[in-house]
Amino acid sequence: MNLLTRFLSWWKWMVKGQRLESEMETEVRFHIESRAADLVRKGLSQQEAMRQARIEFGGIESHKDAVRASVGVRWWGELGSDMRHGLRLLRKNPGFTAVAILTLALGVGANTAIFSIVNAVLLHSLPYSDPDRLVRIFFNEPGVGLRDVSFSKPELDDLQTRAGVFEDVTPIFEGTENLTGAKQPERLEAVNGSFSYFSMLGVTPQIGRLFGPQDFAPGFAPLAVISDGLWRRAYGADPNVLGRTIRLDGDPATIIGVLPRGFRHPGPTTSGDVEVFGACGFSADPFPPPIRGNRDLVSGIGRLKPGLTLKQAQARLTAMAAQLRHDFPTDYPPQAQWTIEIQPLQETLVGNVRPMLLVLLGAVILIVFIVSLNIANLLLARASGRQQEMAVRLALGASRGRMVRQMLTESMLLSLIGGAAGIATAVGTLGFILRFVPSNVPRLSEVRIDWVVLAFALLISILAGLVFGLAPALLSAKGALSSAIREGGRGSGYSTKTGRLRDVLIVSELAFAVILMVGAGLLLRTLRDLLQENPGFNPTQVVTANTWLGVPNDPKTDPYLGIPGKATFDRELLRRMKAIPGVELAAITSSLPTTNSNPNAVGGLEIEGFAIEDRPVESSQDLRAERIRISPDYFKVLQATLLRGRSFTEGDEDGKQPVAIIDESTARKYWPTRDPLGRRMRFGQDPMEPWTTVAGIIKDIKNDGLDIDGVPHIYVSVYQDPSKQVSVVLRTSLPATLLEPQIRHEIQSIDPGLPVFNVVSMNDILDRSLASRRFSADLVGGFAGLAVLLASIGIYGLLAYMVSQRSREIGIRMALGAGRGGVLKLFLQKGIVLAGLGIVAGMVVSASTASLLGSLLYGVRPHDPAVFLIVPLLLFAVAVLASYLPARRATKVDPMIALRES
Amino acid sequence: MGKQIDLLQGTLDMLILKAVSLGPLHGYGVLLRIQQISGEQLEIQQGSLYPALYRLEHQGWIASEWGESDNKRKAKFYSLTAAGRRQLHSETEKWNRMASLIASILRTTSEQI
Repeated sequence: MNLLTRFLSWWKWMVKGQRLESEMETEVRFHIESRAADLVRKGLSQQEAMRQARIEFGGIESHKDAVRASVGVRWWGELGSDMRHGLRLLRKNPGFTAVAILTLALGVGANTAIFSIVNAVLLHSLPYSDPDRLVRIFFNEPGVGLRDVSFSKPELDDLQTRAGVFEDVTPIFEGTENLTGAKQPERLEAVNGSFSYFSMLGVTPQIGRLFGPQDFAPGFAPLAVISDGLWRRAYGADPNVLGRTIRLDGDPATIIGVLPRGFRHPGPTTSGDVEVFGACGFSADPFPPPIRGNRDLVSGIGRLKPGLTLKQAQARLTAMAAQLRHDFPTDYPPQAQWTIEIQPLQETLVGNVRPMLLVLLGAVILIVFIVSLNIANLLLARASGRQQEMAVRLALGASRGRMVRQMLTESMLLSLIGGAAGIATAVGTLGFILRFVPSNVPRLSEVRIDWVVLAFALLISILAGLVFGLAPALLSAKGALSSAIREGGRGSGYSTKTGRLRDVLIVSELAFAVILMVGAGLLLRTLRDLLQENPGFNPTQVVTANTWLGVPNDPKTDPYLGIPGKATFDRELLRRMKAIPGVELAAITSSLPTTNSNPNAVGGLEIEGFAIEDRPVESSQDLRAERIRISPDYFKVLQATLLRGRSFTEGDEDGKQPVAIIDESTARKYWPTRDPLGRRMRFGQDPMEPWTTVAGIIKDIKNDGLDIDGVPHIYVSVYQDPSKQVSVVLRTSLPATLLEPQIRHEIQSIDPGLPVFNVVSMNDILDRSLASRRFSADLVGGFAGLAVLLASIGIYGLLAYMVSQRSREIGIRMALGAGRGGVLKLFLQKGIVLAGLGIVAGMVVSASTASLLGSLLYGVRPHDPAVFLIVPLLLFAVAVLASYLPARRATKVDPMIALRES
Repeated sequence: MGKQIDLLQGTLDMLILKAVSLGPLHGYGVLLRIQQISGEQLEIQQGSLYPALYRLEHQGWIASEWGESDNKRKAKFYSLTAAGRRQLHSETEKWNRMASLIASILRTTSEQI
């Protein structure tokens, strides 16, 4: 009926409570005074009349309370008084309050920070229009075990026109380009796509315009769009930048537009953010003629037509691939089973970091649980101290529900203060934390504390409050009335009811600690194994530097065209490097170990197909290896082990017999039964190319990452097979920072247009390649340490409390002749039983969940026996120590004092 | 003063509505009017008047307004709203039906069964 009236009246009370309270006061006073006046008229004295009137009125406060209840605001007032009471209690126990709020702030803060990363990276949609329809396109050859192989312009056209599932598709060329014309030659991240790249993503420029059909060129268009970052860094945000011509890899390009600040290219780049965008028709120089077999395009993304599900689109693409295999049998050998696969773009961007982020989120949630259990323990200890207060309140007529509410209000107050402190901590330290997050985690620039993160933090705080507030609350309501009052809080013993509850809390706390420790143990073992992993070479005293010679679109403008031009540069570079004082040896490679983060990048490493002489072409489909171009001293600089045959010499140059050095993996995989030395192979399928002879076999070098094994590599001489990506390796005892200026000077003396970047020691490179593993291992390890600390504090606190509560009993026992050993055993046993139970429970849960870590482990099985042995032993030892200290205190009880005190 | 009768459970609200239906009253006035009408025979817990008044106001059956009492003091006056008038009407109806029903039950003799 009049819900609205009621609500309005309630609302009036909520917002004008203060005034209405005073009005109520006035009204009551008026009543009593009027009554008194009437009584005076009947002949009573003024004083007697007032007294009589008050008696007739009854308990003013209880009537007022009834008024509040009748308009539904009583609980609000009670909440206020409960909160005041709670705050008073918190102030009265500054030690407890500080510990609780600090640990909560840590727990909630860690949750907030990690969740803000999870939220931005995994949960948010990609920042493009209609991101759900964007997909990454893969070309696979499952028959020969290959995924994400390159594709040709006709295949791209098939996707666009024949498949009927895409609104648009674009190939993606990621790579680096040299920007010249500015004060220092710079190496930039660049992306070249089709002319519809931006319209497909739904981007509008900050100034100028983006590519459109009118810009179409069969090769590269002489135009560039630049990022907001580059615009500000290199041009001071000058709007006149439009129309300016820059040189990218020597090619002139006119800037036509600047992207908005937040725009990010949706793909893994070789490093950092893409700053220059170009567009290309992919059908003329420098691209080969657009025939089906010329597979030069490396990756592609597409936008599905509206209303099409991923599954429907996939089905149509699979059907189209089958039709193409049928139509062009020579281009698609049947055993390769060439096919097309699509995946949501979001998945391809963040899929590889999901396990790590979820493990971290799990770890911080466990931590907040442990923190809560710890606080629950402290609260329980306090609650048993407050039993008398509770009993008196019950006796005076407080309802049990009301008591539970009061206790819960107190816990919630604590959890919300702790939560607020946690959120403040997270907000304050997020920038700092993000600096430690490995850079292979995408979208870090999108991480912020938004309302979703705040809601999560609030939820975690409330859950924590419930976890630690419920036990003492229920206990307070169950409190036996008479006994508590009679006992008078004299510390007459360890009540079984509280005791049981506290035991459960301790056991679960230990179990959670075990889970965290097992996880940390596995991750740390993985990291340790990887740090000790032999990379196949000696990384100490090696300094590396990089340059990029650029690939101009017009070959005529390329100063390093062809093998001779490039070899001249390489020889000059090596001569100058060796001349630097302190450099013992110098060599060149096209790919530094463990730096190959993006196999699809231009100039990056790619698994290439090759053919082996005297083997039929049809079965050569699955012959793949990474081709690395090196100068003769490369293996000597790295101190890699040549197993058989010979290294390259200065004589392995253009015009001589092409030679290759293969690694053990290649030898084992492709020449399993025969001696590969002297055998011949060649990259690609062009029968006009000369055969390359295998001249040596080298021990495996972990070129793709310390945690990646068995990738076959074929090394060729840089003088016979030139590379535009030039990485220098120097054997020297000097640090990289000291060498950097000289390296830069020497390289730019040859060509002032060359950028010099990433001058670092080889050890730093290996270290960086483990950054992501180190981050998660350190973080989970830190949390595990914290969990052990909290759990041992829990055990210690419980036993210390028991000892103090039972000091009288101990006194009696000792007076009756119990030995100190017996008393020690009594308490130690308690601690050991609890620890044992918790550890066993934790081990059971860990054993059944450890496989979730699977993808983060390397060289360690999820049920690693060492971890599963060390963790319980370690925790047990800590638990025994934490029990021993209070147990020993029990033996120090003086029976005389203990008995007299009670 | 004759022997007083305790108020029947749940009838206070109805009596308050009736009292203010005769004209706006302050809280103490409501008490006086009920006692006056009942011939001083009803015993009302004075304090319990207020929760009832606030409840009735909360439900929108009476409205309140600050005014001046006979002795020139600030007092809160309650008056019946339209909804309150309807409520009083239906309560009265219900009460009369109930009262006559109970009376007829109590009048029943053994022959009538």
